[in-house]
Amino acid sequence: MEQAILEIRHLSKSYGPIKALNDFSLEVFPGDVLGILGPNGSGKTTTLGILMDILKPDSGEFLWFGQKENKHLARKRIGALLEQPVFYPYLSAVRNLQIVADIKGAGYDTIGEALEMVGLSERKNSKFNTYSLGMKQRLAVAATLLGNPEVLILDEPTNGLDPKSIALIRNLIKEVASRGTTVLLASHLLDEVQKTCTHVAVLNKGKLLHTGRVDEVLNATLRVEVRAEDMDALCVAAGEMKFVADCKREADMVVLYLSGETDAAEINKFFVSKGIYLSHLALKKKSLESYFLDLLTE
Amino acid sequence: MWTLLKIDFKKYFYSRAFWVMLAVYFALLVMFFFGVEKIVNEALKSSSKSSPVTIPAFSIYAFPYVWHNLAFLGGFLKIFLVLIVLYFVTHEFSDKTIRLNIMNGMSRTQFIFSKLLFVLLLSLFSALVLLVSGFVLGMLHTEELTISMITQKAEFIPAYFLEVFTFGMLGMFLGFLIRKPILSIGALAIYYYIAEPIMAAVLPDKISPYLPVEAMGNLIDVPNTALMQMFGVQFRGNVSLQDAFICFVYSVIFTLLIFLIYRNKDL
Repeated sequence: MEQAILEIRHLSKSYGPIKALNDFSLEVFPGDVLGILGPNGSGKTTTLGILMDILKPDSGEFLWFGQKENKHLARKRIGALLEQPVFYPYLSAVRNLQIVADIKGAGYDTIGEALEMVGLSERKNSKFNTYSLGMKQRLAVAATLLGNPEVLILDEPTNGLDPKSIALIRNLIKEVASRGTTVLLASHLLDEVQKTCTHVAVLNKGKLLHTGRVDEVLNATLRVEVRAEDMDALCVAAGEMKFVADCKREADMVVLYLSGETDAAEINKFFVSKGIYLSHLALKKKSLESYFLDLLTE
Repeated sequence: MWTLLKIDFKKYFYSRAFWVMLAVYFALLVMFFFGVEKIVNEALKSSSKSSPVTIPAFSIYAFPYVWHNLAFLGGFLKIFLVLIVLYFVTHEFSDKTIRLNIMNGMSRTQFIFSKLLFVLLLSLFSALVLLVSGFVLGMLHTEELTISMITQKAEFIPAYFLEVFTFGMLGMFLGFLIRKPILSIGALAIYYYIAEPIMAAVLPDKISPYLPVEAMGNLIDVPNTALMQMFGVQFRGNVSLQDAFICFVYSVIFTLLIFLIYRNKDL
């Protein structure tokens, strides 16, 4: 089997009485573009902070590139943007990036290109504390690109950016991902994950709710509307059906949430075998958004 | 280590705050060294007027005593040097730039070591100012100069270095512990001027010399001057290895405590 780039095993972390992460495990493979999706305070930033040794977990462990030891060497191969951009305020953009390159053990030759990619070439000699929020964020993205990292970690990279910059950053992520770089993108924006990611991990209150390919997650949740003369019998029968994750009665119909592969013919056949003839049958694929919202209201 | 120095060089070399603070410290030190004789002699002149015995004029800059005298005086200004240490250690936390270092691949050990190097270099700088000032002043104020007179009491230079370095390590420890610029400067001032003097007064005489600031102060005793000799007061005119050892042990303890605290701490 392919070697995972990142293995997270049973990570937990609390801040006082608040459990920020609760037995969180995950594997990331080379080339994955993983979206870590969750509302504010769900543990996304805590997870990424632990992976970059900014935060220490209460229990559990993680392996970068299959290695347990010398994690700082692994971090040299990772470009990361955590929560908010941090740089030396009195240094220019170029000098800040030189420091990053020095720490990473990378040359200075990629600095110009990185600044070009985020559109900061003109202001490269201005001090960091003269930058606007959006420029700071873009500089932080530029810093992650130095030394051609094997993994990119981005925590809400489009936070505080104008629409033009958002498009720029998203294209950049796609471009980097197309070169085979593994990406971990934390976001509370569904749309962002849907547009840029191949895989998704959904977090809420420090627990991993769901993980898989973005398209599988889409397929896996089928909303089926059915109607019949005897609605009570329909409800009972539906409860016995395979793949039914949930069954809700809504006004004049019953809504089934299916979690497996099936199709209309099979559903129809099942109800006929129970002696129920459907007067209405509609299959609706759910958008990731309603899936996400469902997860959060559970 | 060279990589760490290269990284830190950029942090300090292009910082205006660093140069301003270093220049102020340098100016204070040099002014103190070069101006102190005048102040002492003026004081003596006015006191000798009322004194029935005449106090002989003397130079505190004469070899070999200049090393001891300047090392003793320089010790009073070490708090200014530690302000530079505190400023840069605590700003790594308040600006959160320590995260930049760690997440791009510096280990926590390397980060702490880089700050230790910073304290070491600042202390070396201070000792160098002492060396050059002492040499210049000694040359100007010594009659009948011989080489052995210059080197005789030169042990006070490394002793001075150790005193400043140990104090710098105390500052670095407080910086890592408290993380907030103003609070840590306040904590250092309270400890240095209030807490330890009280402890030294309360604790039995056998223990109080082992307190950190006391130990640093003991490293270089009050110099013997003609005035003091007249009154029959005799201070230690050399450096005791035991005091040096205590200071060294404190530097090691401060370093180990920082490592211990940061093994499992969020940044």
